[in-house]
Amino acid sequence: MYPFNYYSPATITEASSALKKDPGSMVVAGSTDLLSEMKEGVVRPSSLISLTEISSLRDVTWNENGLSIGAMVTLTEIASDPMIRRRCSVLSEASETVATLQIRNIGTLGGNLCQRPRCWYYRSPQFNCLKKGGDQCFALGGIDRYHAILGGSRCFIVHPSDVATGLLSVSASVTIYSEGSMHTLPLSEFFVGPESDVTRENILSQGDLMIAVNIPSFALDRIGVYLKSKERQSMDFALASAAVSIENRDDLIVDAGVAVGGIAPVPLTLAEVEGHLINSRVGNIDLRDTLDQVFSDARPMSTNGYKISLAKNYLRRAITQVFERM
Amino acid sequence: MDEPLLSVGRSSRRRDIHAKVTGEAKYAADLMLPNMLHARILRSPHPHARIKRVNINGANSHPGVHATVTPYDVPAGKIAPDLPILDSKVRYVGDEVAAVAAEDIFAADEAVQLIDVEYEILSFSTNTDQSLAKGAEPIHGGSNLINGGPIVEQRGNVDDGFREADLIVEESFTTPGHSPAPLEPRAALTSWDGKVLTVWKSSRGIHADRTNIANALGLQESAVRVIGPHMGGGYGGKDETRTAVIAAVLAIKSGRPVRIELSRKEEFLAGRRRHSTKSSVKMGLKLDGTITAIHAVTVMDTGAYLSSGPGVARRAGQGALYLYRCSNVRYDGYIVYTNRPTAGSYRALGAPQGHFALESVVDKAAEALNMNPLEFRLKNHVGIEGQPGERTTPKNIIVDAQPVEGGIRFSSNGLGQCIRLGSKAVGWDGSSNVERNDSVVKYGVGMSIFLYRGGPGGRSRASINVNSNGEYTLFTGVMDVGEGSATVLSQIAAEILRTGSESISLAMGDTDITPTAGLTAGSSVTFSSGLAVQKAAEDLKGRLLYSASAYCGENVNDLRLDERGVISNSNLIIPFEEFIEHGCLVTGSGVVDPGSEDCIINSFGAHFAKVAVDTQTGTVTILKYVAAHDSGRIINPAMAENQVRGGVAQMLGFTFLEDMETDPGTGITLNPSFLEHKSPTILDCPDVEVIFADVVDPIGPFGAKSLGEPPCIAPAPTIANAIYNAVGIRMTDLPITSRRILSAIDMTK
Repeated sequence: MYPFNYYSPATITEASSALKKDPGSMVVAGSTDLLSEMKEGVVRPSSLISLTEISSLRDVTWNENGLSIGAMVTLTEIASDPMIRRRCSVLSEASETVATLQIRNIGTLGGNLCQRPRCWYYRSPQFNCLKKGGDQCFALGGIDRYHAILGGSRCFIVHPSDVATGLLSVSASVTIYSEGSMHTLPLSEFFVGPESDVTRENILSQGDLMIAVNIPSFALDRIGVYLKSKERQSMDFALASAAVSIENRDDLIVDAGVAVGGIAPVPLTLAEVEGHLINSRVGNIDLRDTLDQVFSDARPMSTNGYKISLAKNYLRRAITQVFERM
Repeated sequence: MDEPLLSVGRSSRRRDIHAKVTGEAKYAADLMLPNMLHARILRSPHPHARIKRVNINGANSHPGVHATVTPYDVPAGKIAPDLPILDSKVRYVGDEVAAVAAEDIFAADEAVQLIDVEYEILSFSTNTDQSLAKGAEPIHGGSNLINGGPIVEQRGNVDDGFREADLIVEESFTTPGHSPAPLEPRAALTSWDGKVLTVWKSSRGIHADRTNIANALGLQESAVRVIGPHMGGGYGGKDETRTAVIAAVLAIKSGRPVRIELSRKEEFLAGRRRHSTKSSVKMGLKLDGTITAIHAVTVMDTGAYLSSGPGVARRAGQGALYLYRCSNVRYDGYIVYTNRPTAGSYRALGAPQGHFALESVVDKAAEALNMNPLEFRLKNHVGIEGQPGERTTPKNIIVDAQPVEGGIRFSSNGLGQCIRLGSKAVGWDGSSNVERNDSVVKYGVGMSIFLYRGGPGGRSRASINVNSNGEYTLFTGVMDVGEGSATVLSQIAAEILRTGSESISLAMGDTDITPTAGLTAGSSVTFSSGLAVQKAAEDLKGRLLYSASAYCGENVNDLRLDERGVISNSNLIIPFEEFIEHGCLVTGSGVVDPGSEDCIINSFGAHFAKVAVDTQTGTVTILKYVAAHDSGRIINPAMAENQVRGGVAQMLGFTFLEDMETDPGTGITLNPSFLEHKSPTILDCPDVEVIFADVVDPIGPFGAKSLGEPPCIAPAPTIANAIYNAVGIRMTDLPITSRRILSAIDMTK
């Protein structure tokens, strides 16, 4: 490690101006991801701006618009909140599959959505890859079994957030503080793929802060399931994951959210699958053609083709499990 | 001898449990000395390069730096024949280049970055095929194949055996080079007073370390004292002394104590992983199930240095050569240098790799013969009489516990009993009676058996004395590396001395006060040091009884020892203080060359697993796991059961999860962390039912045999065979990940 400045401002505006003042500064929330990157020498911020003293970022609010969760709410708080579990189970389930209990106890919602990729070429300081300003992706021709099968272009990371995949299935939006004001945008627009900017995974610029994640009331009280394929039962990232939330009126599906994670540089909403489900009858829905269509764009690398079967099977299984809970 | 056992066979509490649970236990990294400096090592960024020049000036002039060391100013001695203290060539990414000692770890870290090294880059290889290819860059000069050819061991003639066969089955396999991933990264504290170098280090053999360190530094052994504090897990890997020797060089140069502790990443890279292998087994069979020939070949990647490669390679052939009754067997073991992190001793050496291949092929053979795999093993496994053939070892010579020749019996052999007990516990008679239907989840049962050369180590010594209050001090030079030998040895001494094992205190872990001993290796401590302890305790007991007889005039045979002193038939008690007061010699000692001139001493076992394979997710769930072991009489059942459970858990990593992944394009190892080198968590570990066969070995101490490593041998083939039983796909490459299962299922579609 090396010396760095540490600030813990009490307000959002102070935090934002501190970040603007020092271009080498970075936001620290739970620190579970950033500190390991600093120890490895992958990033070297001159200052850390901690958000722990900003109490408004820890609010969980329910109102007629839906649910709003502050960016600094911990994953354990989300996973153990009985109201969230009752009204938005897909989020509870996604949150409790993250890492280990110790990490969930300090890891935050905002931090989870903004965490950097796990690509081992990115994480090793010895590889100056595209994401770090270099001129090559080392996963091409390297060991690529955990890498992207969809949406990779130049860079083949997969987005590591379980929570993001869960949230996409309930039409979540994110509130951002930027340039002195707050604005809200769909979570799906928050993430940035390598085709637009290979050095980042989201739209936040220096000085921007994630304030809260919102789940609209229409997406609450659905039946939701989050399933995650992992090699190890704890402390592992998704090989592929599936998030499904469905609103039914008797055996008619009236609304559905379907997302998949672990297979692309951004978590993906699967509108085709959602479209297939909506207005279908609960039961044996044959999704094969739709899923084949979704994955027809898949471009597996040398050893990650298994993720196609995996993702399809997990999506089907998540939908079946939703039906079983009705 | 017919007295009931007091101490042996009881689950005495571990000697170190209180200290470890409360945090009092000190490990090498916890130790500090006044004026201590902190060392850091500069490691190679290149997989293979010649060092042209090292400019150390920047580091030397960095504030707080007191000593530096480069390949150009280290003593000429070697740590191993192919391993100098520092070399002007680097052979893997992570190889040691230079080191600094500074006032604090931050200054040392900064100074290391200031060392300027000019490298001449050489071509490198990350697998054995590349290393053996024509024109491959020699990693140590000469051939990358150790000794230019394989280790060949044979009995009879396999060509004849295959000619006799009605049927031949064969298969090829690969296994990963996983890391033992000990919780404690290796650490050392070194101090030089101008005459004596004292080294506190994580160690599995303080006396071997002393010899090694003295040789490397050109010191007399008497000028080196090695102290082994508590060890935070070694699993065989911690016999590497380069780390401590570098710290010692810095301590001698600076005149100040020097502490070094590897980071987690360094522990993965510069520790010792298991040899990754490519192997094949070919088996000739008669239609009645007789085995006519077995030919096994293993190619092992030893990485940048040889370490214990030959011993590991030899163990990979043990199963093929001896587990099944067969007159024609052959094993070819190739050891190959690559530019990957060094492989070395890792619990059970090559046996898990060798048995994975052998026991998978045995299952395949049984199926080809349309025989029940359990019956096939019962029919063919080696019995107590050993292998057919003529003994070639001369009489009056201790026989090798890892023999090739036939004609020598085992001291005891509970293999058949393990198979029967395990089969009963798992509820499977070997018939393919498992439900196979079109459901997504398929169920299967599998088994495998093993034998292991363990127990007899080298010459072993112990001494013991009694204090006036009836407490004993037992001196032994072996290390308790966390497996519990201190507890077991005290139980053995207590049994002879007819006292409670808590009355035995242990003097261990310091070369200045203990008799010379070997490594805690080869599952040898209970057996070999146990015999020495038994002999030392008997020696002391004999002296006490003899002195008492002279003192009270009663016949020695009418006297006995208990926790109060020597007791006569007439219930006269001669307390221990009397012996000391009268100047009797109250020390006993024992030296043994463990082993037998008549018998092979091996441990055996059979493991069984019932699994569920999810064909959509590639997930394997172990529903039941049974481990049946013949390790002779069990000295401490609770600790022995834990040893088995721990071994199975550790090898679930080998079976399902772990590998050290070296990038083919750069030679950089990608996953030196607990996160990416995926050791199983408690959630990944099934309950293991442990069964011990009712065997009392005629040679081991109180009938005990070895147990440390044997639990690691069978998990991979047992589980792979169960997966085959469930889904009909033979997994030949470890680890068996969901990726591999799904890919294999996709291929069958």
